[in-house]
Amino acid sequence: MPTPDRDPKRVNASPTKEFFIYMVTRDIPLTRAILDLVDNSVDGARRMRPNGNFNDFWVRIELQKDYCKIADNCGGIPVDIARNYAFRFGRPKDAPLTPGSVGQFGVGMKRTFFKLGRHFTVYSTTSASRFDMDIDVEQWISTDETNEASGWHFEFRNVEENVLDVPQDEIGTRIEITQLYDTVSESFRLENFLTRLKQEMSLAHALSLDRGLAITVNTIPLRHEPARLFVSDILKPAFVEKTYACEQLVGKPGPPVTVKLFAGVAERSLHDGGWYVFCNGRLVIRADQTSTTIWGAPHGMRQYHPDFAYFRGYVFFDSDDASLLPWTTTKTGVDVDSTVYKNVRQEMIELSKPVLTFLSNLAKERAAYENADSTDLSLEQAIQSAEAKLMDGLPATPSFVAPQPRPVLPGPKMQKIQYWKPAAEVEKAKQLLKVGTFTAVGEKTFEYFMEYEGKE
Amino acid sequence: MAGTYREINYSLRPAKAIERKMLCEAFSRLYPFGKIGTYRYVGFGSIYFSDFQLFHRNLGINDMLSIEKDAYAKECFEFNKPYKCVVLDCRPASQVLPELDWKVKTIVWLDYESKLDEAVLSDIGSVCARAASGSLLLVSVNVHVERDPDETTRQDYTAETGLPFNLDDYRLRELRKRLGDCLPPEIRGNELRGKGLATISHRIMKNGVEEVLSVRNSLVSLEKKLVDRQIFNFHYSDGTPMLTVGWILFEAGEQHKFDSCSFNELNFVHFGEEPYAIELPCLTIKEMRYLNAQLPKGGAAGVTLPGVPPSDIERYAEIYRYFPTFAEAIFT
Repeated sequence: MPTPDRDPKRVNASPTKEFFIYMVTRDIPLTRAILDLVDNSVDGARRMRPNGNFNDFWVRIELQKDYCKIADNCGGIPVDIARNYAFRFGRPKDAPLTPGSVGQFGVGMKRTFFKLGRHFTVYSTTSASRFDMDIDVEQWISTDETNEASGWHFEFRNVEENVLDVPQDEIGTRIEITQLYDTVSESFRLENFLTRLKQEMSLAHALSLDRGLAITVNTIPLRHEPARLFVSDILKPAFVEKTYACEQLVGKPGPPVTVKLFAGVAERSLHDGGWYVFCNGRLVIRADQTSTTIWGAPHGMRQYHPDFAYFRGYVFFDSDDASLLPWTTTKTGVDVDSTVYKNVRQEMIELSKPVLTFLSNLAKERAAYENADSTDLSLEQAIQSAEAKLMDGLPATPSFVAPQPRPVLPGPKMQKIQYWKPAAEVEKAKQLLKVGTFTAVGEKTFEYFMEYEGKE
Repeated sequence: MAGTYREINYSLRPAKAIERKMLCEAFSRLYPFGKIGTYRYVGFGSIYFSDFQLFHRNLGINDMLSIEKDAYAKECFEFNKPYKCVVLDCRPASQVLPELDWKVKTIVWLDYESKLDEAVLSDIGSVCARAASGSLLLVSVNVHVERDPDETTRQDYTAETGLPFNLDDYRLRELRKRLGDCLPPEIRGNELRGKGLATISHRIMKNGVEEVLSVRNSLVSLEKKLVDRQIFNFHYSDGTPMLTVGWILFEAGEQHKFDSCSFNELNFVHFGEEPYAIELPCLTIKEMRYLNAQLPKGGAAGVTLPGVPPSDIERYAEIYRYFPTFAEAIFT
């Protein structure tokens, strides 16, 4: 827009509303956008009980063809926070910290509103204040955005501050998004979509669920199986804790970043093997099998491979200042360029190496056994006799502990024989020999032959 | 190893035989969508081709394709083909279905012996993604939940998971292996007991149909959107509990054609989650003839037969028209 009366050297770099409504919303999948709303509730619960449990706190999500509702009793949004911070695009420098928060960037909630529909209402009640707002997105776009004072704001419909005696059961936030986009409404109708959403949500918010937060999706409570690692006297996962001072990371004082790392083995699963990355309790990467974590040539490591399907690595980043953590705004990945992540990744690589060596040896042991080069299966037995244990309570262990492969014992040189015979005949032989496997059929028939023909 | 068709004579499975005849009667009502003789039938004929014989003889369907995954016995299947119009394709359904021309109205019966798994869902997807309006998709799967396994399997479970054996967890784990991420996370192992696996299999197949159609419909006008209406939900057992679910797929603009099929007049047509259970009373031929002479009589009220419980008579009255009789015959 030409503005002749302005300084001719001034170049317009102001944002447009369309950028937030139609562009930023493309960066995030629908399921993840809904998880972002739960993040706000989790932060509310954290404000109420920074270190306590979340028992009695609940988040109820309702997704229907015509609307998305999310209600919680996690303390509500204080009017002051709503007025000055919560609805801004981007987090202002002076915004008060919620220690250990998962909301950080000042985009999540608004992006979700815009992604889902054309109309939203927010009702919030804290122990001392109340507000509600009702926003028609089309109407909001049409207000003049070039006028900073009038264009870039929402308006409370009702607001009350310094309220006394707010009943406990009114405290909380209720959000309703309506006039849903067709694709959104269509997704909400499909159980397969809800299944994926519930799976992602129970993984992403596993730690909050563990702390007692009750989340329901269309009245169905979310549950999750806490992650476990195999432990025994001879098999022990690595567990290391590290602390990075804020000064080290960003050159100024502030809260530190603490990091907990676990590396070990668990139930074999091609899909679940890999590294899991959490920031302030929120899962941001699930079962990573790429160079984002430790895998492949960029790190001088082998690619993820079916032999490694037993591998599990977990890394938990925590800080009272969420901006120090290496997550991306969509919380679906990590900022691989952040100093803290690069440092921790080095540690992840070193912790993974002994586990991957063990798993390679395990595969070799199995291959040698199948080739009849060896009868030793001690590594396999070590895995099979271990117990799956919760990570909480595992002792600090600087490096993964596992048995070494046994050297091949001297004995007669062995030779494998392989041949094909009609299946029906082999079945018959199996029955006649009263054995259960084809290997046994081969061995028994060979022994039978040698018994009669092989003697000098 | 030979397929199960050498262990069980499929044409002698009475519940299945009743199901087949019921399906045939329902198919004959498809005429508002097109002459039934112009439909194509795609099924898994095995070596008995019972379904092919019935649908060719009763419905006049000539365009017939039998899919048979056991390529080793191709000659045997070719030999047993009952009619010239039956074409045999000895490859897995997952390879055959994507190569078919789907412009033809088709009745597809994916009659598996195995349990529902991701491969079955993928075959369901292949049909739903392309089937022409007025087509029918039927899927049969085994819904027998795992019995308490032997000691070796229990030990394997503990060795693989690092957890003590628990039957409900074991069943859930097996189900998750078959279905992966399609399984709603709130399902618990104890829900699989009894008819639980059938209920969940039905639900997951339905979800699969709906999701594929949802994508297919996303770019077409309202009246062209393909609607899935379930018309069959059979539970039956000839030794192993089985589930057959069937949907008719038609464009929303053709709702009136669906209405004129009047499927609701058939008592075995079930539109919802509640299944129609095919249960056979065990009767002699003499008893059946005696009962037949008193039927139909607006139900079984007043029909009696010494020594046969009224509940058996009621069940018989419901299905007598489809009831198979097996007799020894000598062909010369």
